[in-house]
This record gives sequence, C-alpha cells and structure tokens, in this order.
Amino acid sequence: MTKTYRIAEKTIEIASLFEAVHRLCADYRADGAPDFRVAITPHDLDAERARAAETVSDAYLETLAVYRKIAEIMPRYDTVLMHGSALALDGEGYLFTAKSGTGKSTHARLWREAFGARAVMVNDDKPLVRVASGGAIVYGTPWNGKHRLGANVAAPLRAVCLLRRAEENTICRITKSDAYPTLVRQIYRPADPDALRRTLALIDRLADSVGLYRLGCNMAREAAIISYNGMRGAT
Amino acid sequence: MKLNKNFILHTAGGETVLVPTGSASFSGIVRGNKTLGAVLGLLEKETTEAEIIAAMRERFDAPEDVIARDVKEALEGLRKIGALDP
Repeated sequence: MTKTYRIAEKTIEIASLFEAVHRLCADYRADGAPDFRVAITPHDLDAERARAAETVSDAYLETLAVYRKIAEIMPRYDTVLMHGSALALDGEGYLFTAKSGTGKSTHARLWREAFGARAVMVNDDKPLVRVASGGAIVYGTPWNGKHRLGANVAAPLRAVCLLRRAEENTICRITKSDAYPTLVRQIYRPADPDALRRTLALIDRLADSVGLYRLGCNMAREAAIISYNGMRGAT
Repeated sequence: MKLNKNFILHTAGGETVLVPTGSASFSGIVRGNKTLGAVLGLLEKETTEAEIIAAMRERFDAPEDVIARDVKEALEGLRKIGALDP
C-alpha cells in the first residue's frame, strides 16, 4: 500500500507491506508530487529484526524501517533525525537529548506541568531538525515515542540541552566542542558515507546556530524552571 | 593501508574526529590528539606505516622512536575498531 505524507517540509511517498505505518503517519497525510519515495522490502524487515532488542511484529519493524530510510535521505535536505524530546515554549523550540533512560521525557513532562498550555510537545523521541540558513527548525514527526507525545508542528530551535541526572538542578552553557560527542551520538548516523559527511557538516552548523547547554536535573518541578531560566535569552 | 570507507574523518572547530557510518559495527567516535589527527589525515589515501612515520617526522620535532611508537599505537587502535583496511 502506498500513500503520501508531508514531514519536515518534504513530501514523502511511503510504499509499505503492512498498514501499521500508515496508521502511525495518519496526521501527516498530504497530496502532491513526492520529493522522494521510500519502499520497504522483506529484506528491510530482516535488517530491523536483527537490530531489535526484543521480539516485535513485522508491522512494527516496518515502521522503524520506514523512518530509517527517511533519515538516510533527509541530510540531502539539510535535515537530521535527533534522538531527544523536543517541545515549544511560547513558540520557541527546546530539545533535550541524552542516552535512553536518562529522563528526557520526564523533564519535558515537568515543563508541561510547570508551563501548562504555553508548552507544546513537538516530539518526545525522534524529531527531525532542519538546519536552515536562517537557523535550525525542529519538526514533529509520526515517530514520537512510546507515549505518542508530539504533533505535526514546527518551531524555530532555540536551544539543545544535554541532560543528565543529578541531585541538584544546575544548568550551564557549553561549547560546541563540549557538546560535539553527544550530538554525534544522538543524531542519526547514516549508513551511506556521503550522507554521513553531510550529517557531520549539518551538526557543525546546528551547533553554531542554537544555544548549547548542559543540564543536571532531578525530577522535581523546579528542574523545569531552572532549565528554562537558564536557556532563556539564548541566541 | 587506508581508512575504511565506513569511517568519516571530520574536522570541527580545529579538532579532528573520526565517525563511523551507521553500517560500521563500532559506534563510538574517535577524538584524538594532534598525532592521531595527523595520522588519520594521512590515512585518507593509501599509505604504509613507514610512510606515515616519515611524514610525521617532517611535521613533528620528536625522536624517531617516539614517533614510531605513537604511530604504531594509533594504527593498532584504529585496526581494533575496524577503521583500517589492510
């Protein structure tokens, strides 16, 4: 089955073996000539199965395979997939990144609790980030984590915040060199060498165009306030 | 020998890093000192250990045995993570 979607300002035709990916992407349906096409084969499912940590359905594996293919192509359009939780506060994007299990989603929830309707979830797991000439933009995508938090929205990305757990809440601005290893680890690294070259160049530009911060945080609501105050007024 | 095509050399902010593609089995990134950066740069083209040592001797003011040891260590490290083609 084949349908067309609009994700991060690109029109993408997805040809799948199962229905699940189309249900996942329903909020992103669009018409028009695709910028590119993604077609899944049984071989793609085998490759995802080999990577999967647990036994999951082929239909679910296909959703992963589709996003992997999209992420391989997106660097052509100055866009990368970043592992993290992204939200917009008063229309400006903030992206929290860290390895899985650190508490990105928890911290984003604290922002929603602290700021109410001012905070809008963009994507709780795998947003796309386009590094445009005027600055970076974070986009919601259908792949928004196990709690399905996010929406088909975009926001100019003000800051990327590297998060780690701590007893006390502290935030400080960090340099590109400090942030670089984490950014490289948390941004999708294409299998194609040329796409990786473009990705690394985009990471450089991203690091130059947003504020970079390191947050040590606990799970109290105060963490959201300290985090926000630390990043407000960033470039 | 030469850098494997699944390892991309990238210089950012004066620092050289070696980053594997998504299809390499190694998933870390390699950040090196000046020596490693220079060795990596030379490995972008087909070369030999002797050629690397000779080039490093022109670039760095250090005794030959020190340079030879550093180069050997760097190459061993790269080989271990699959970053070198024979």
